[in-house]
Amino acid sequence: MVTIGLREFQNLFKSIRSVIIILFIFSVTLGMAQLISKYKDVLGAVGGLDGDVYMGGLLFLMIAAGPLFVASLSHSAINQEIHSRTIRFLATKVSREKIVLGKFLGTALYWFVCLFVATLLILPFTKGFYFNQFMEALIFILYFVGLAIFLSTLIPKPGMTMFLGILLAILFPIIGLWSLGSDNFFIDLVSYVTPYYYYSLGDHFYTYVVLIFPILFVLASLLLIRKKDF
Amino acid sequence: MYALETKGLTKIYGSKKVVNEIDLKVGQGSVFGFLGKNGAGKSTFINMLAGLIHPSSGSFTILGKQHHQNQKIGVLPDYSTFYDDLTALQHLKYFSKLLNVKLTKSELLDLLQRVELEDAANVKAKKFSFGMKKKLGIAQALLNKPDILFLDEPTSGVDANAVLTIHRLIQDISKEGTTIFLTSHNLDEVEKLCDDIAIMNQGVITVRGSMQQLRDKHQNKLIVSLKHTQVNATQMSSLRPQLEDLASAIEWGENLTTLTVDGEWLIPEINRSFLHANVDVFRIVVDEPSLEEIFIKIGENQRSAS
Repeated sequence: MVTIGLREFQNLFKSIRSVIIILFIFSVTLGMAQLISKYKDVLGAVGGLDGDVYMGGLLFLMIAAGPLFVASLSHSAINQEIHSRTIRFLATKVSREKIVLGKFLGTALYWFVCLFVATLLILPFTKGFYFNQFMEALIFILYFVGLAIFLSTLIPKPGMTMFLGILLAILFPIIGLWSLGSDNFFIDLVSYVTPYYYYSLGDHFYTYVVLIFPILFVLASLLLIRKKDF
Repeated sequence: MYALETKGLTKIYGSKKVVNEIDLKVGQGSVFGFLGKNGAGKSTFINMLAGLIHPSSGSFTILGKQHHQNQKIGVLPDYSTFYDDLTALQHLKYFSKLLNVKLTKSELLDLLQRVELEDAANVKAKKFSFGMKKKLGIAQALLNKPDILFLDEPTSGVDANAVLTIHRLIQDISKEGTTIFLTSHNLDEVEKLCDDIAIMNQGVITVRGSMQQLRDKHQNKLIVSLKHTQVNATQMSSLRPQLEDLASAIEWGENLTTLTVDGEWLIPEINRSFLHANVDVFRIVVDEPSLEEIFIKIGENQRSAS
């Protein structure tokens, strides 16, 4: 499990797409922090300015574009191995459960490192480590990592998960944000399975409730992979 | 204890029984050949044993145990593809870590040398030929020094030199006491390497036994071909009943008749039958059927029976 996780972690850093995403996250986070810092007097006079405003930039970026980043990088974490038949080498050496858990942990570790480094980059502005905001960003991303692993286990074709992942990455923020100001029963119902609803409640406790979803996604993936023929 | 024992092992895809209630026992230390044409069900069968495909029904044990965990099993799956970004050596390092087998770099290089891939140790797999991939596939299957080795079509699509290397390797591994279960549609390969064989056709085992048993049972017949003058209707009416008494199968031709007979003692009698019917015989050629011809014949018999 650890070996598979470490390979997934290394692979994510090696891809061009990953490098572009990392540069984008770092530059946008740093740019927003510099911008906020430049106008801190004005912003401070309007509504007060704490270090977490800088972290808010990173969180906003993750909420807006995080699902897309995860979908583009990890949409084929499992099904690419099945499609290329390399899973036959893995499945004859380790249990199927370890393959799924390794993939999830490797991807989660990649995002932890990315977000952690982004947080360190804005440390000169924030003057402190904002743990709660960091965890909010991380848990939000973990939701989509879990979803990507689940879809990748459920759907055999990498092309299809790429399409579906990007579609969901666009639809989820729309539905999530729509539900915040909507009375529509169905939109409300759907919002309960997106992280946006819990993040809108304004209590850090509910952020941690969102952790249940990636756990459920991984559990479902474990059940699915047991049934698969390679 | 058998190296491998299956009981009613079945795999159904949709309404098709790809593997149909196979009962098989393979002794420890043997080289077992699983023969069959493409689509016969060989790969499905071996993939069930390797834990890659779930059986629809039935069960199997490997070295007396039902589960793969903690067992020293090596598998070369068919259509082996590797990670393009990893070299041969990196592949072996990665797979040995997965197996929790601690091997030094020099031990891994020794393994690559064993499959004659030492020159490609630092070459990425995307540059590998089909034969090199097969060799790397065998090398990774040997990482944990397996007690039983499953090889699915180890030489299919491989050039002649690589075939020789793989054959030599299989013979060496067998001498070390490893049970080898290989699938193939190459009869010469099976004849050369295997002690025991089973022939699979349309999901069922049609022939099972040692190579010697198979030869004794099916290869004792002779194929006698006679070149002769054209046979007219009168001659045929005299010749046909006599030859039908002597041969188990007859292929009639204008100037060439081929008979399958039980032994060489029947050849003079066949010759006399032709002379008696006033048909001149110019040449008699006697052949022993090869394993391939036996295999084809069994297949034809089954097709005509079904």
